[in-house]
Amino acid sequence: MIDVGWISSVLAGAVSAGTVFLIASLGEMYAERAGVLNLGMEGMMIIGAAVAFIFTNALGHGAALLAVVLIGLVLGVSHAVFSVSLKLNQVVVGLAFTILGLGVSGLITAAEIRKRFILALNPETPERLVITQEAAKLPVIPIPVLKDIPVIGPVFFNHNVLVYFAFTLSVVMWFVLFRTRFGLSLRSCGENPSMADSLGVNVYRMRYISMAICGMLGSLAGAYLFIGYQPFWVEGMTAGRGFISLALVILATWSPLRAILGALLFGGVETLQFRLPLLGVAAQLPQFLLMLPYIVTIITLTLLSLESVRKRVGAPAALGIPYTRE
Amino acid sequence: MAEDEYLVEMRGIVKRFPNVLANDNANFTLKKGEVHALLGENGAGKTTLMNVLYGLYRPDAGEIKVYGKRVEIRSPRDAIRLGIGMVHQQFKLIPVHTVAENIILGIREAGIILNTGKINQELSRIIESYGWRISPESRVWQLSAGEKQQVELLKALYRKARILILDEPTSVLTPQEATVLFQTLRKMAAEGMGVVLITHKLDEVMAVSDRVTVMRQGRTVATKRTSETNIEELVNLMIGRPLIKIKPTRQIPEENHILEVSNLVVLNDKGLEAVRKVSFKLYRGEILGVAGVSGNGQQELLEAIAGLRKVVSGKVLLDSVDITNRHPSEIIDLGVGFIPAEALRYSAPEMTVAENLILKAYRTKMFSKNILVDFKNVEKTAQELVAKFNIVTPSTRNKAGNLSGGNIQRLVLARELWTLPNLRVLLALYPTRGLDIASTENIHKYLVEKSQQGASVLLVSEELDELMELSDRIMVMYRGEIVGILSRSQYDVETIGLMMTGVKKLEVQA
Amino acid sequence: MALRLERRLEISRKLSASISAFFIILAIIAASLVFELLGVSSVETLSKIYYVFTTPATLLQAVLRGLPMGFAALGLCLAFKMNFWNIGADGQIYMGMMAATGIVLMHAYYGLIPEPLVLPAMVAASFIAGGVYCALPAFLKARLGVNEILPTLMLNYVAMRFVDFLIYGPWRDPKGFGFPVSIVFPDYARLDSFLGHSAYVGFPGAIAVAAVLYGLLQKTTLGFEMRVMGQNIEAARYAGIRLGRTLLTGSLVAGGLAGIGGLVIVSGIIGRLRPGASPGYGYTAIIIAFLSGLNPWLALPASVFFGGLLVAGDVIQSTLNLPFAAVQIFQATIFLMIILGEFFKRYRVKVVR
Repeated sequence: MIDVGWISSVLAGAVSAGTVFLIASLGEMYAERAGVLNLGMEGMMIIGAAVAFIFTNALGHGAALLAVVLIGLVLGVSHAVFSVSLKLNQVVVGLAFTILGLGVSGLITAAEIRKRFILALNPETPERLVITQEAAKLPVIPIPVLKDIPVIGPVFFNHNVLVYFAFTLSVVMWFVLFRTRFGLSLRSCGENPSMADSLGVNVYRMRYISMAICGMLGSLAGAYLFIGYQPFWVEGMTAGRGFISLALVILATWSPLRAILGALLFGGVETLQFRLPLLGVAAQLPQFLLMLPYIVTIITLTLLSLESVRKRVGAPAALGIPYTRE
Repeated sequence: MAEDEYLVEMRGIVKRFPNVLANDNANFTLKKGEVHALLGENGAGKTTLMNVLYGLYRPDAGEIKVYGKRVEIRSPRDAIRLGIGMVHQQFKLIPVHTVAENIILGIREAGIILNTGKINQELSRIIESYGWRISPESRVWQLSAGEKQQVELLKALYRKARILILDEPTSVLTPQEATVLFQTLRKMAAEGMGVVLITHKLDEVMAVSDRVTVMRQGRTVATKRTSETNIEELVNLMIGRPLIKIKPTRQIPEENHILEVSNLVVLNDKGLEAVRKVSFKLYRGEILGVAGVSGNGQQELLEAIAGLRKVVSGKVLLDSVDITNRHPSEIIDLGVGFIPAEALRYSAPEMTVAENLILKAYRTKMFSKNILVDFKNVEKTAQELVAKFNIVTPSTRNKAGNLSGGNIQRLVLARELWTLPNLRVLLALYPTRGLDIASTENIHKYLVEKSQQGASVLLVSEELDELMELSDRIMVMYRGEIVGILSRSQYDVETIGLMMTGVKKLEVQA
Repeated sequence: MALRLERRLEISRKLSASISAFFIILAIIAASLVFELLGVSSVETLSKIYYVFTTPATLLQAVLRGLPMGFAALGLCLAFKMNFWNIGADGQIYMGMMAATGIVLMHAYYGLIPEPLVLPAMVAASFIAGGVYCALPAFLKARLGVNEILPTLMLNYVAMRFVDFLIYGPWRDPKGFGFPVSIVFPDYARLDSFLGHSAYVGFPGAIAVAAVLYGLLQKTTLGFEMRVMGQNIEAARYAGIRLGRTLLTGSLVAGGLAGIGGLVIVSGIIGRLRPGASPGYGYTAIIIAFLSGLNPWLALPASVFFGGLLVAGDVIQSTLNLPFAAVQIFQATIFLMIILGEFFKRYRVKVVR
């Protein structure tokens, strides 16, 4: 029955599912605002999931999150070496990272290999954790008082720490991007790097920093996907979420706050995919809903190309173009 | 003169580039409280000299003193620290950001968190003191060219500049906006700043400057007080050539024209009117020279006729056929050739020399049979052209991107002059720019040959000798309009020079 | 002491080839290291791969498995030469698969197509389906200037989901025990019904396509136009080339070839349509196109190589307990190495004291 309770639970599901998109797109947004297109997000995400899987079973959630962030940092900086310093074509570099990421993470589907890694990290790991395809989910931390607000309470305030982190991060990143000197310099690198350079902004350093952030958040998104949302390992479990996050950045017109809306939208669609059949709606409808985000993205891209719109809220002007100081 | 009255002293500046000596022992001084015009033709070295002052170039020799002290300016950051600001011809602004954001970019003192309130207040104060109407919170894409320029000025003023350099600032302004600019400059001077105005426009020099320095071919020819000189003297100093012997006239049958342009309006890349209701006729077999300092609409005019730029209003008729805004392929097929100014912009660098030579003619019967390209014929023709035009290349299969600048120019010329068999009109945009004497003579020979064979040539050039030698008539453009058309008997360097700088106008004889 | 980068003005074919070769060898070494780290003998793995290529039976399989990617890669050679970044080859493959299956169903369920015409109709349908699917983003680019990278990428997922929808729904085989698969294709709808093995039909087809493509690009006016467009769009316009028309034509062919690749999958390899029939073949096709330097002739052996990796992957999976992902890592390593190689082809590194 569709009642308030049902809507509330769908919205809560949207928040839960949408957090993956939110974290990843925030990272991608910063990279693109600085002028670097990261098509390798899908690969970074699934590496994050894989790392989270192994580390959680070996050493617990805390170590897992730390490891994920560090590895994400390495990934982001490596991408920057290829795309910023070596000035290679960013589309090609990104695709390479995605394929590599999918391959590397696919490895841990094999029980033998998983075993090696887990035992290498912690030889004392109990047997069942070594062979299982699951991991412990992040505990839900309900926020007292707030969670009891009718309707809204269970939607927003009954989740794990990464969800709260994601939404807070979005506000923080918005502030940094638009209200601090760092954010202004970052945005200029993506709009007109030669102008920024002539005014004293170190474009290369900015792009490295933003790619580092992108890598860390991308991997973190993957980690959340596994230990925060769906802790049952399936090969290729990101299922294109990394690419969707790229689309989300565009849909949100490169603004962190609007990314929340986009993430909720995509998360909602994903949740409905599971809920609708339970209502007796034809089982094939969800597949149509799944096509929606992609089609909406294409429409948005088209609209953004119109001259009148492009002037106001277009992509960073220098996105995807390697910068060379003349 | 007390040492500290001079804000800037530049002595013996030498700057060399691979092909040219841009500054040849140039001297320049700037006093407190003056507007000093730096006058000269294109390529005279004015912008180079000021780029040296602004730290964009390092001089090969010479010394610079600022506020009486000897300094080394290694980059714009050094210049900014010394209180020097420069407003370039092409605005360095980010359209989607606000005025304030554009101005405070890169300023470390702005703190970690931007105090927009305080910044806006300070900016408003400066804006008001100059009587401008921009707002710190508007987005730059919403502003007009004049207002964008004010933002650039604001950038320098906010950084406490005492010395301001403006490079051809009125090239993007309407006459009204120019007036506002001049008021601003005089106010700045009144506040004790020193303003350098790089320009080629004599009316501006006379209107707003206190002193003027004339440059020619990299040398500073003279520095005078504006009140103590006049236009004729300045023209002489600027152009400074002896009168050219004029070759005997060819008789042009004045009956019919092949090209008729009426009331043409064309925009430039910035969306401003570059060609303003231009009308003229091009006669069969004639060479019509288009004189004028570059940037006054000549490029846009030729590109519009060739179909490479949109015609906003007006018509272009080729032999009574309307070719306005037709697709370039159609215009090419009708026999209109186009020699572009920047050869590299219109070449395919990874393809061979031979392929580039027939870039426009690949569809013609000479080089294609049905859908196949006749490469044998292409190679043969390419060999001929390479020899004829002295294109230096190890082979016709060499990648075009490997050719030197001069050779690419020759390649483009060869392409236009020879591969369109039914050439009726040739649009030549600065065809000899950057070429050596031998190649230039060759090109002159071909242009005359083509016109004797019946083709008509529209020749845009900055070299007056070239125009006077080759053209049957000369049309002068200034600020997108035709200022006058002279026939051979009327050729006179001074007159043309004055027309180029907008001072003199003639009755237009279409 | 510092490193300085200098752009190379030109590069001899020999140097270019040796750089490529060097980096491929580097890729093999890197992959071997990864395998060792995982506790798998790289020697065994490499010998299995060697075995695949040197045994006639498995070599034939390699050729066949490489065909879908090969056709798509041929199309990509064309697209990339025009500077049209078609990341949507995978989706176009799906559309091809869908169209081919659709024809079979139209025949099997409704008898709309006579037996002998089924296979030709499938070829035509898959080409058209893939072609139109690629022309859509090309149209957006030509008319509105929309950058094609994300639209083509997004369309991949749309195609995948649409095929899923069909296969879980109206196209599900009623006799399939509830599994989401289509009916099995009848003999006359399969590529191996002619000469025994699908590769005998497919590979000559691929060779023919490569020849046509090569001829098109190097010898015809259309190919000339496409090459100029890919180099410098301003020069193309100035040369009088009709940009929109050329772009659409090229994208139709590129997508169409990917569609044919899809046909090979359902009609030549699997024999029916099922979800995940193309596990990223479209992306591997991109690697192949790059590896062959956008040269159609080189794309063929490259596709056989990658097809062989797939076959080897199956073997390795069952005998060495190494997941299929190992093949992906190998592919990706090669890709990364090629990219690095590209860098060294473009720049010379000098040590400056």
